[in-house]
Amino acid sequence: MLFKLAWRNIWRNKRRSFIVFISVIVGVNAMLFMDGMSNGMLSQILFNEISLNVSHIQIHKNGFTDNKMVQNYMPDYENVEKIIITNKSIRYYSKRIVTFGLLSSAANSTGIYLNGIEPENEQNVSRIKSSIIEGKYLSGNSGEIVIGKKLAEKLQVELGDKVVALANTSDGSIGSDVFRIVGIYKSPSSEFDKSYVYIPITNAQTMLNLQNKIHEFAIITNNYNSANIIRDKLRETLSGSYEVLSYEDLLPFVIIQLDMYKESLFVINLIISLALIFGIINSMLMSVFERIREIGVLMSIGMRNGKIFLMILIEAFTIGTAGTIIGVISGYLINIPFSTFGINLSVFAQSLESFAVGAILYPKLSVENFVMILLMIPLISILGALYPAYKAIKLEPVYAIRYI
Amino acid sequence: MEIIKTENLKKTYKDNGVPVNALRGINLIINKGEHVVIAGPSGSGKTTLLNLLGALDKPTEGRIFFKGEDFSLKTKKELSDFRLRNLGFVFQAYNLIPVLSATENIEFSLMLLGIPEKERRAKSLKLLEELEIADLAYKRPGEMSGGQQQRVAVARAIVNNPKLVLADEPTANLDSKTGALLLDLMDKMNVEKNITFIFSSHDQLVIERAKRLLLLKDGLINDQNN
Repeated sequence: MLFKLAWRNIWRNKRRSFIVFISVIVGVNAMLFMDGMSNGMLSQILFNEISLNVSHIQIHKNGFTDNKMVQNYMPDYENVEKIIITNKSIRYYSKRIVTFGLLSSAANSTGIYLNGIEPENEQNVSRIKSSIIEGKYLSGNSGEIVIGKKLAEKLQVELGDKVVALANTSDGSIGSDVFRIVGIYKSPSSEFDKSYVYIPITNAQTMLNLQNKIHEFAIITNNYNSANIIRDKLRETLSGSYEVLSYEDLLPFVIIQLDMYKESLFVINLIISLALIFGIINSMLMSVFERIREIGVLMSIGMRNGKIFLMILIEAFTIGTAGTIIGVISGYLINIPFSTFGINLSVFAQSLESFAVGAILYPKLSVENFVMILLMIPLISILGALYPAYKAIKLEPVYAIRYI
Repeated sequence: MEIIKTENLKKTYKDNGVPVNALRGINLIINKGEHVVIAGPSGSGKTTLLNLLGALDKPTEGRIFFKGEDFSLKTKKELSDFRLRNLGFVFQAYNLIPVLSATENIEFSLMLLGIPEKERRAKSLKLLEELEIADLAYKRPGEMSGGQQQRVAVARAIVNNPKLVLADEPTANLDSKTGALLLDLMDKMNVEKNITFIFSSHDQLVIERAKRLLLLKDGLINDQNN
């Protein structure tokens, strides 16, 4: 009967209960929207960084990440390749030459990351092929180069133009070669587009005097969440001459950024929760003050303070839980079109691109988000009702029953 | 058999900072099955005395014994349980819970006593029949007249077989005919169920029916056995 009484008390002032109910729904939707946006943004940042260049795992000669000298090629990559091939957790891999260099056109020159790639294999480990907006991907023929849109603008070059690449060779001299632009790509990161260029690996090996040596294996695993486990296994298998790094090792700044986003999201959720708590406190206090006489009667007929306290908590919990359930359902439904078609943020495209986020943001909600809200908001509703419930049990029955 | 006893009961409260001696030393013994009316002019301390006897308020001085047990030694929680098991209240303004139906209002104290739903429903419906308001069982207070509400309030007060029912001006908001009917009902309960009734009233209708009249004046009592 306590639940019945609490339930009917909720319907006593429909307008007030409705306002609290709606505010909980709006709060839950706001939380889910923020969660979705942030998750979407974080996933996009991570996905873009992984898919543009980093991949899930990279293997180099020890010390290569700290000192990307062209001489730091892998001493015995064939054996490493055998180990990669036999590992069933690895889906794709590709070999790379990676070095710094200078790219010049007739109009300008700029520093670049020169990437010698295996065109066939590279399309499985990065999205360069699918990012091409003009021209075509590398066919494997000598003298082809793919550059970013921003770099093309900087060098004032177009498709079919010639550019000259310069870089240190393995013997310390300067190697150079002329390339014809066969493709121009555009990725979600403007910084990436300004500096990463791609040539066939054989061209790079010749130009840098590396024979058939390579600098890097880029690996895609079956599940990126298990990248660290696979990394550790590869480390065990390979001797200390190699560094095996997962995307978390390779993108420490991004990982910190993601953690910061999560923390700021927590603060935003906390602010929304506080607003909800005060709304509930206000509403429940009103509800208690309207029922002082009735609470006095309940006390007179022998209802213990604990039950009166519980009754008020049940009222808040019921509204909070109902609002949360409806809020979660509506939040989920609202999220479907956004997560399918994305939110066009092209107004902020420039700043988003510098964070490796595209102009179209796809909100993404996880089960964790729903579970957290389903637990948090009803709890917040109870917290919000604690003070009004305390006020109720502090009433003296003798005064309460005479209250007008 | 003595049911309630007071010893030198005093109550002083402050009205706008000015101390008011509502009760100035009440010595009283009420026995089981009695039908007592506390009468007196407005402000004489009738309600104050009733509140003290009902363990709703604490005396400034003096003691109250219920079947020999001292109220003042009980905690707040024990007093709640005490009221639930031993007392019934009928208020001037009926004070039914507006969101509950008549039967639910009656059942409420049985629910607090932990009686199963089926049993308490049967008990409340039987009582509604006895009080000739069975047709109101599923109506809410807002759908009843004042007299009907007060009958439900009486049913609520006696449903848990209390030893003592305290009725504060129960007829004050009723017309004389309805008031008389209600008093008939309580007289019947007093006789049939041997429930002790203490009324506070200045209504002549109530005073005339008193088997024992306690006149309160200036916080002191004048016991007039009829």
